[in-house]
Order: sequence, then structure tokens, then C-alpha cells
Amino acid sequence: MNKDTPLDQIQDSDVSPTELDSVIDTNKELYDQLNAMPEIEALEAISVDDEKDEKEKDAPNPIFELVNRVQTFYAENELARYASWAFLLILISTSALTIIEYDMFNGSVKDHTEGSFTFGDTEPNWLDTFFHTFWWSIVTFTTVGYGDVSPITHLGKFLTIIIMLLNFGVVTLLGGAVASVLVAQRLTGDDTLDENKFDGHLVIAGWNKTVPSVLNLIESNKDSTSVIILVNEMDKEVIQRAITGYERLDITHIPENFTHESVLRKAFLDKAGTFMILPDSSGLLPHEDPDEDKTVLTCLTAKSISEACNVIAHVLDVENVSHLQRANANEIVIPDEHVPHLLAKHVTDPGVPQFFDDLILKEEEDKGLQEVKIPRTLNGQTHNKISAFYKFKYGWLLVGYAIRKAGFSLDEQMGESGSPLIRNMIKEQLDGAGINLTSDEHVVVEINPPDDYKIDGKHSALVLR
Amino acid sequence: MNPTAEQIQKINHFSKVNIDLCAIIASVVEIQECEPKEQLLTEGDTGDTMVLVFQGQVEVSKNMMVKTASGFTTSRKPIIRLETTDPPPAKDPETEATVFVVEAPAFGIGEFSLVLDNAIRTAHVNATTPLKYGILSLEDFTTIVMDHPEIGGAVYFEVAKSAVNNLATASGDISNLTQAFFFALTR
Repeated sequence: MNKDTPLDQIQDSDVSPTELDSVIDTNKELYDQLNAMPEIEALEAISVDDEKDEKEKDAPNPIFELVNRVQTFYAENELARYASWAFLLILISTSALTIIEYDMFNGSVKDHTEGSFTFGDTEPNWLDTFFHTFWWSIVTFTTVGYGDVSPITHLGKFLTIIIMLLNFGVVTLLGGAVASVLVAQRLTGDDTLDENKFDGHLVIAGWNKTVPSVLNLIESNKDSTSVIILVNEMDKEVIQRAITGYERLDITHIPENFTHESVLRKAFLDKAGTFMILPDSSGLLPHEDPDEDKTVLTCLTAKSISEACNVIAHVLDVENVSHLQRANANEIVIPDEHVPHLLAKHVTDPGVPQFFDDLILKEEEDKGLQEVKIPRTLNGQTHNKISAFYKFKYGWLLVGYAIRKAGFSLDEQMGESGSPLIRNMIKEQLDGAGINLTSDEHVVVEINPPDDYKIDGKHSALVLR
Repeated sequence: MNPTAEQIQKINHFSKVNIDLCAIIASVVEIQECEPKEQLLTEGDTGDTMVLVFQGQVEVSKNMMVKTASGFTTSRKPIIRLETTDPPPAKDPETEATVFVVEAPAFGIGEFSLVLDNAIRTAHVNATTPLKYGILSLEDFTTIVMDHPEIGGAVYFEVAKSAVNNLATASGDISNLTQAFFFALTR
């Protein structure tokens, strides 16, 4: 049947059982042909290889990982640094004493252990003596001083004085380090974040009742980022209760004012993949409305930190849309925008609104409408082949594409037209005013394109899973 | 001293004019000299003379209002430099060129004055090297054209070509400025 046939005529058209069988058989044959296409079979092998390669790439060497972790822990933990150096000093002084006062400590081991030696057989060896000296050092360092071993010779006493003076410095430093770490943690709100973990993560500024639903949907989509930072001034306990129970998500809460640049930097916004700004109900009474100027201000601040960051802003008042557009927000979500359409569809096309509800609100794991990447090797292929690929390989229905459109470039647009003087002056003046000559990439969708529609690297598939 | 007919023919606007007729034009032009930095034309002035440069280099510049750290200010922006090649300038330019230098055997500036009475100068013109130039007035040229109409066709065609080129550039500038204006408004 012709694709351009009006919908009402499709319903009215007379289709005989024979014609129906014929249509099904023809399509079955077409599907079989598509499934048997060499490029799709080859692609299956390629995509499996790609997955393997990805896994191999992702698996780090465990030894390097351990060394890296130790290095990171040492570099970032002041207490660990002091403790390591204190332990090293004790070991050095113990070794020195073992060597210098070997006879004295060796004799002391004999007197105390009465013939049963751990390392030596009948006589205490150097290891027994070293351990005994180490024991004495720790007893002296910690000011416990059992008195079971004490220096006798002048040299021994002299070295002990050095040990005790050393102890004074080390214990004081160690104690001071413990105190300073505790005080620093108290002052910074105990929110020092591990920088290595945050790259391409999601930052959500503001808190309202929609956040748990957003988190649920992100949790159920395994392909999306799992690292999330919430920045809001909501009560810590409320947030803690809301974020427990997520298996996949790694959520961190920064309980500070998200309009401040320093706070956004603390959330590593410069490395974030997406920044979501929501109407903030933190600290508001039930009848109070969120201050949406904060959303615009935060969008401006975020774009000044990272022009490349994908900023999604949610506003309740449509008046703020133009402000957010000027603030260069990538996507602006306005509530109730779709309500008139849905209401009208209840009248004109019953079933369509329910379909949308089911499609959008599906929170089951990896179900519903999702954006998935298209294998690079499929670039240049037509829509019908891509569609067949997803249908036969995964059983998904391809409904359209999300296309990343390059931002508008004023420089490219001007080209060589006009005089160089005016072109240069425009560039200089806009640059001086802090206006970037290129606008951000944005996403447009192409729904159910014609069969011969060709895709490129900017396309990703919108599939019904 | 008058220039030679060959010197006049080297100028683009008169290149299609017969050498004998060029001699007639040369007869009404007096060769003058000036030093670097001397201003030949001033933007905004009216004038009915065309400057014919036989040797040397000039810089064409325009007044532009630009925004600086201290606010809006008018500054003179060089647009282009024109330099003769036959003969080349007697000395190197006193200042380094920051704009494109267009070379020609000889060139004319203010050609619209051969058409318009009291045409407004659209840019400043300053000498950047010692200059040998001549002045062709509208009155003299009109008289010559009246006596020898065949000169008019060739010269007016070149002037019209220049005007059309300027119009195309201005159209591009308006387009660029409009785009930049809307682009800046949306940021």
C-alpha cells in the first residue's frame, strides 16, 4: 500500500485474507532477505568484537590499579603521610639501636624469653633481637614505658635520650596531624570528593519532588552515567533517605548553594557531561515558589565554567525561557508544555495519550524509548537497513534518530563576503564582549524518516526496547 | 610638470583610453610631490578631484567607533594600502603595513569625483612613502569628455565597475553586520 495513502482510507480499504497473507509473505521474504544481508551478518561480528575490545580496554591492570590507589591515598591523606613517616623513623631508629646496642638487647631477649625463641633455634638470632628492640622502641615512643628493658651503658642511655626526644617530635606531629585532619573535615563539611571518579558525570542543582523520579529513570537505564552529584541545601537526612536504595547509582550530596561558582567547581562541573538545573524547593515552605532567577544565574555561571557542558534547565515560568536561551542553556524543559496536546489527543486520537504515558513513564530496567548509539560501521547506510539491524539483532523498534547538529558559526557564516575590515571588526568586538563566535551543538530529532534516509556519525538511534 | 600619456594609461581607470587621448588628460594634470604622513584626502570632506598616484604608497583608513576597556571610542582603522610598481616607491614605507598591500603600476583614488559633483570622501588617504601624484578635477575632465566623448565611455565604464564592486562589498558587510547583530542578541 502506498505510504502516502490517507489514514482514514487505510481503515476503509478492503483487504482480503489472500491479500493480507500476500502482504505478510512479501514482508517476511523481505525481512529474511534483510536478515541475510552480508553487511548485517558482518556487523554482528564487528559489534561483538567491539564489545570485547571495549571490555578489554576497560579492564585495568590490577597491580597498576593497586599502586595507583596507594599513591592517591598517600597524596590525598595528610594523616597517612604523617603516619608513614613516623613509622619509617621508628624503623630507622630501631635498626640503628639494634646495630649499636646489639649485645644489650640480645642479652635482654635471653633474660626475658628464657630459652624459647621465635626465630632463632636455641639462641636468639638478629631477628629476635630486632623485634625485641622494636618492641622497646614502641613502648618508649608511646610513653607506656613498662621498664622491662632499660639501657644500662652510657651509650645506650644516650641513644635512648635521642629516641625519647625524637618521640616528642613524632608524637606531637602525629597528634597534630590527626587534629588538623579532623578540623579540616569539620570545616569543609566532610565533602572532599575524589576527583578521579568524576568525569562525564551528572550534576543536579536544586531539589524538588521530581528528583527521585529522575534518579529512578537514570538508575534503570544501564547505558547512562552512574555517577551523580546533587547540589542543594536540603536537609542532609532528607537527601540521605531519598538516595538510598539505588544499586547502580553512585550519588554524592554537596549541601551548599549551587549559585556559587566555587560550589559548582567543587562538583567538578568542568568535567561533567550533563548539568541539570531544577526549581529548588530547599528550605521553602509548601506554599512558597522556587526562585527561578537562581536557575538563570546558575546557567550563566555553569556556562562560564564550561562552555561545552550540556546544561538542561527546568523552569516553571515560561517568562524565564528567553533568559535561559540568552544564558545559553542547551535544553529548556517547561512543565505542562505537552498538556494541551495530550488533552486534545484524548478527543481526536484516544489511545495516543495512554501510549505516551506508557512510553515515557516506563521505569522498568532497559525498557521504553531510549537513545542508543549506532555502530560506526553503519554510517552511510540507509534507514531501512539500520531499522532491520536493530530489529533482527536486538528485537528493538527503531522509531527515529537524535541528530547532533553542529552549532552556528558566525565566522563560517560570514565566509569571505563583505570587506575584511568589517569582518575583523565584528570578530574583535564580539570577542572583546566575551561572546563566542560559535554556538553550542544541539540535538534535533528525525522521526520515522523515509527508507532511503542516510545516516552519519552525528546520528544516534531512538529505539523502543 | 605634466605626467606623460603613458603614466596616465598605467592607471586602471584610463587603461582603455587611447594613448593620444591620455595625452590630453595628462595636459591638465600637474605632478606634485609630498612626504610620508601627509594626508591627501579626509573622510567626510566633499571634493571634485581625483588623485592620480604615479609613484609611492598610500594607506586608506576609516574612522570606526569601537568598544575598548574605557568605553566607546572612535579610532582610525587602516583598510588597505596601495602601492605603485612602475616605478616602485622611492623609499620603504615609514610604518609596517598591518593590512593587505595592493600593487598596481599606478592608481587613482576618489574616482567617484569624476562622476559626482562634490562627492563625499568615504575614507582617509595618507602617504606612507614619498609620493608623486597629480590632481584631475571634475571640471577639466568634463571639458575633455565634452570635446572627446569616446574618453567618457571607457572611463565611466571603469568607474561604474568600481561602484558595483563597492556595492557588492557593502551588501556583504550589511549581511555580516545583521547576522552579528542577531547573533549577539541571542547570546
